[in-house]
Amino acid sequence: MRGTLAGGADLVTTLVTNDPRRFVERAAVLRAARPDLVVACASERGDADGLVDLAEALRFGCAAQQPCPELMIQADDRVRARIADAAGLATTSALPDIRTDAGRDALVARIRALRRPSRDAVLRDEAVEAQAGEIARERGSVLVLDLDEARASLCHVSASGVLTSVHARLGIGATADVLLARVGVDGIRRWIPRPVDAPVLVERVFNRALWPGAVPATVAALTLEIALAREAIASALALADRAGIQAATYRAPGTVLLLGKLAELPRASAAVLVAIEGLELDGVTTVLREQGGVIDPVAIVAVTWPRRSATVRVSDDTGAHEERISRGSFLLMPTSGAVKLSASGADLRAEAASLSLGVVVDARGRPLAIPPRDAERLPTIARWHAALDALPPEPA
Amino acid sequence: MPWRYARHSAEHALPIGASEHAAVGQTVRAGDVLAAGATHGIAIRVAGARRIGVAVDDVARVMRVPVGAEVERGQILARTGRRFARAATAPVDGRLIHLRTDGDFEVAPIVGKWVVRSTLDGSVTRADDAVVAVEGEAWCLQGAAGYGPDAVGEIALAMDGPAGELVPNRIDTRMAGRILVGGARSAAEAITRAHACGVGAVVAGAVPAVGLRAVYGPETTARSSEASLDVPTVLCLIGFGATSLPVALYEPLAAMGGLRAAVHSATARLFVFAPPAEPFGRDEPSFVLASDWSTVRPVEEHMAMSTATRFPSEFVADALAAPDGAVPVANVRRFDAPREVLA
Repeated sequence: MRGTLAGGADLVTTLVTNDPRRFVERAAVLRAARPDLVVACASERGDADGLVDLAEALRFGCAAQQPCPELMIQADDRVRARIADAAGLATTSALPDIRTDAGRDALVARIRALRRPSRDAVLRDEAVEAQAGEIARERGSVLVLDLDEARASLCHVSASGVLTSVHARLGIGATADVLLARVGVDGIRRWIPRPVDAPVLVERVFNRALWPGAVPATVAALTLEIALAREAIASALALADRAGIQAATYRAPGTVLLLGKLAELPRASAAVLVAIEGLELDGVTTVLREQGGVIDPVAIVAVTWPRRSATVRVSDDTGAHEERISRGSFLLMPTSGAVKLSASGADLRAEAASLSLGVVVDARGRPLAIPPRDAERLPTIARWHAALDALPPEPA
Repeated sequence: MPWRYARHSAEHALPIGASEHAAVGQTVRAGDVLAAGATHGIAIRVAGARRIGVAVDDVARVMRVPVGAEVERGQILARTGRRFARAATAPVDGRLIHLRTDGDFEVAPIVGKWVVRSTLDGSVTRADDAVVAVEGEAWCLQGAAGYGPDAVGEIALAMDGPAGELVPNRIDTRMAGRILVGGARSAAEAITRAHACGVGAVVAGAVPAVGLRAVYGPETTARSSEASLDVPTVLCLIGFGATSLPVALYEPLAAMGGLRAAVHSATARLFVFAPPAEPFGRDEPSFVLASDWSTVRPVEEHMAMSTATRFPSEFVADALAAPDGAVPVANVRRFDAPREVLA
């Protein structure tokens, strides 16, 4: 699963050797999935017979599919030959152990080759990863967060240069309906700071999914787009977690660069809010965003959970400012010029040459507790939006 | 033009278990059976090569029934020897569905039958166990999303005007087998009643998305989804929620009452079989997405190009000036503009 996420594949189905479904059901599942690529992993010696059974179901279900799916097999030579014979597909290839870097790289390369519209085309994922590498060379550990119509990409490069990426088909436009089906109406609605009927919300998401490139003209549409963005990031992170990627590395990256639709939000504060809540950032993070090819430092996000009330001190060109922080606090301290952050009662320390927004102090705790009932949830979410001034005022 | 008379191709995906299908080059009419097969129960693995004592490659030579054939319980599947015969027999009534590479057989009971029917008048261009494709000429209207199985029938109007709604009390069993044009909006109650009355399909400008989720399940999305189960067929032409049909869509639909038609759900297309000389072609209408995305409405008024405009959301975008305010250019599009983005 890690390889499919890194390659940006749409994982259509997973069958395991002890799957309770029988031969015909397995074949029906595979036929309905219409896979372009099938990966068979015999990680243990005892998996061989079970995988041959699955390969037989694959031949029964997909042999007539056009174009015929490719099969990549991770197994020793003898087992690989058995699986290839049972599957009877025209194109099969060997895959190194996908638990290793070499195996994952081979799988990612094959998936990307299938996705590439032409031999020379550069996929957006690859461009984002290249950019993450460049920023990491300058700033150390970095997370690049790219959100577009159809895809959410999270590329983390550690200080030692190790790249871990997740490219999920969960966007805020063309695949917003898929996101809704995945997280449910309440998963989206919980981020909207005003009452919204479920039927209306579903219709808005479905219409948006059929309308690539739609511009949110009203505050209501913008609010929905921001809610979808949060949930797309959170869902991509949940997928990463299920794939065995340490979500903690994404939550405390040191630097976050926002790209795509997220960076294009009219207010930088809205983009920062989405990053904080979608990722559930932890520790101290500098948030950058790219607009028109220029990377702009936007904010320092300082997340803490103080035992007693703490004092955060921010020094900038206008002098030093202090704020007392207690559990539940969420505030923005606007800055001008060079910024230095320190705190007493909490381990927060950071510096920046300049920030277009300021320092965001988040003491709401992790995981974020969103009240389930509208009576408490709506004012809570509205307060969080207001704290960063993330939404324009509603026209009278 | 929203309505186009042209040569179209429609692929009909087959479920598992096809036993026969039309031949390539065969001429078919919409509604004709393209393929038939059986729904299988739990398959039983029957020892083959090892039991009868032949090499795997020789199993096919000693088989007494071909793969895909129906078998009776006890029927010999393969046999070797004369006086001291060794045979593999069918454990149940059903079908020999698969010969495994290790020489074993899979025999499955038959628990149901299915047929797949053509949605076009034309000729078969591809036929195998997975797909039968038909190519033929017809009037075609490309919708936004189709749900449920394909449907074939006569078009019947069940609305009062372009803004009319399909109301359940106008649907009865006399409409069985028809393709019901449900006007601007068809709610879930009308869709399920139509299905209960045997209506082939409902075609509507917009369908409430929550209604679709109620009928087809919470995993329903804004994309077409085929289903082989006993569920209604719905073709959503414009969007979700409510809308009104523009003249360019409504007038031809109103004139098509009684004509043979078919809904191809997988590609969300309505085919109507009428001579090419019929005056169904109209100027292509445009649609605008409501500012809060809750509805899609046809653009009947003139919209002048405006300069870059700052909207209440603070987005700055090229806009069109409409009587009730500026609309982002990106939120207005032609009926047949592509709805997919490359991911």
